[in-house]
Amino acid sequence: MVLPGAIWLLLFSYLPMPGVIMAFKTYKLVKPPADSFIQNKFIYSLIKSPWVGLDNFRYLTLPTNIDATLTYIRNTVLYNLLFMVVGLVLSVALAVMIFEMTNRFLAKLYHSIFFLPFFVSWIVVAYVVYALGSSKGIINSIIVPMGFTPIEVYKEKLAWPFIFLIANIWRYTGNGSIIYLATITGIDRELYEAAAIDGAGKWKQFTHITLPHLIPVIVLLQILAVGRIFGSDFDMFYTLPNGAALVKDVTQTLDVFVYNMLRSTTPLGYPAAAAFVQSIVGFILILITNAIVRKTRPEMALF
Amino acid sequence: MNINIPLKADANLLDKPILPKKKERDMLALSPTANAVLTVLLGICCILMLIPIYVIVIASLTSEASLVADGYQLWPKEFSGMAYKFLFSQGSIVITAYKNTIISTVAGTALAVLMVGLYAYPLSRDNFKFKGFFTFFAFFTMLFGGGLVAYYMVTRQILQIQNSLWALFLPSAFSPFWVIVMRTFYKSNVPNEIIESARIDGANEWRTLFQIVMPLAVPGLATVALFSAIGIWNNFFNCLILVDEAKYYSLQFTIYTTLNNIRFLLENADKMQGIVNMSQLPSQTFRMAMAVVTVGPIIFAYPFFQRYFIRGLTIGAIKG
Repeated sequence: MVLPGAIWLLLFSYLPMPGVIMAFKTYKLVKPPADSFIQNKFIYSLIKSPWVGLDNFRYLTLPTNIDATLTYIRNTVLYNLLFMVVGLVLSVALAVMIFEMTNRFLAKLYHSIFFLPFFVSWIVVAYVVYALGSSKGIINSIIVPMGFTPIEVYKEKLAWPFIFLIANIWRYTGNGSIIYLATITGIDRELYEAAAIDGAGKWKQFTHITLPHLIPVIVLLQILAVGRIFGSDFDMFYTLPNGAALVKDVTQTLDVFVYNMLRSTTPLGYPAAAAFVQSIVGFILILITNAIVRKTRPEMALF
Repeated sequence: MNINIPLKADANLLDKPILPKKKERDMLALSPTANAVLTVLLGICCILMLIPIYVIVIASLTSEASLVADGYQLWPKEFSGMAYKFLFSQGSIVITAYKNTIISTVAGTALAVLMVGLYAYPLSRDNFKFKGFFTFFAFFTMLFGGGLVAYYMVTRQILQIQNSLWALFLPSAFSPFWVIVMRTFYKSNVPNEIIESARIDGANEWRTLFQIVMPLAVPGLATVALFSAIGIWNNFFNCLILVDEAKYYSLQFTIYTTLNNIRFLLENADKMQGIVNMSQLPSQTFRMAMAVVTVGPIIFAYPFFQRYFIRGLTIGAIKG
């Protein structure tokens, strides 16, 4: 029964793993000779390519490239931290508020509306950004008659952190709150009743009952999020700026950077080195976070 | 290793409403004023949530002439349904993309439900010898991956699924995360006694799974189906890295390339005077309409799944 899934994992997850060694090689395509045991061009070339040690990593830190590399790392990490914190706070807040609403019909309706954006792809969001913020966009058609200077988001660096943040909140808050809402629903009502009798207000009830129940879920999701801190929501970062070169400094993340190098004429070792950093650092961070959690609250550790 | 993502611990909860009835919570209910403030506040948030959808719909209904004259407006001077008429009359690229996306969504969702449902079941059973190994086998991929470059080379050079419909759904047809969710769902919603009695009645493993266990796990499987369907319908990445031929483009990729084209042409219009005749560009509202119709079908899937999904909302506490 596990066979189909195991084969899928083997092909799509485990097969690429040894490929990380590309980061330490100069990948050159060579045709395997007819008598070779390995006939696959990629595997053969990968084995035959010369080891170059850390040369690929050195390329990323050359004086000409170091600024770009650091900028993309900064973007990736800062956006991830921002989304983690804001996403967590808003999702929990939404779950609590939906739960506290007295009118159950409205609560359901509201939650459906908050979940709705999850159905909308990032590409459609890119269209919305265009319709709102391009030179002929809705924002300009409102602010220009009021006497402001027209704005054009594809040329405005300052706008992008806000666009990404708002877009991220818009698309994921409803979805993120589901798991918290479900957890709150599972909390024994008698706890709250006892607290209310003892005179605890809503806020006290939240900090002393709701939050402690949510902590295990929060910790688990945050550990996993830490492991992805060098990754990013590729579709969002790639499609929303729509390739606008002027705002690259604030929109490009490591994922997009790796993809762009992969698709250019850059030797494969360079993007492989960047991707290696992403995989390994993410993995190490997850181990560290888990170890810390294990030390303080062993029952909440992931493994 | 001790990962556990229960979809709600006790089976009865599935039949309970997600929010307790009003009577039960009278003592804990918010004061009427606080409740009113909360309702209005969240109502305003809901309206804000709907703005982007309003924007794209209204943009697709703006007449081309008023767009050229005044740009996009919150309330255009002149409405026109021309874009939609055009979309359904002509549009071979939209139709191909639609066909590709529908086929891959259906195939990918079916595969995901089957593979996740199959993989998770033995992991939920205590008498499966390799339970620990296969749990780890799936879980490890959530922690470590080969990175984009290796993935790109493997899918293209070894698996060779590029430029085919397979490329659009096979990479998204399985998910370790949902395996862990489903495993817990089986564990908590399918009582051991039922499985044992099926055994005693002579059903083999497969029959037990398909006729007894899976029907009891429908809310969980439906949740997996819903999320896979949304994921594949909205997938852009598979097509971006694995497809070069227009006949296999997915819907999302098609509308992305068209957006990219208009923006480039409009912004460089001044430099390209005489090279490109702007009036010959395919209409902008047409593209907006295209974006609107890509959202349509997947939203219709929501009410269909909602029955189970509201129960799936009880995806209970994740216990570390």
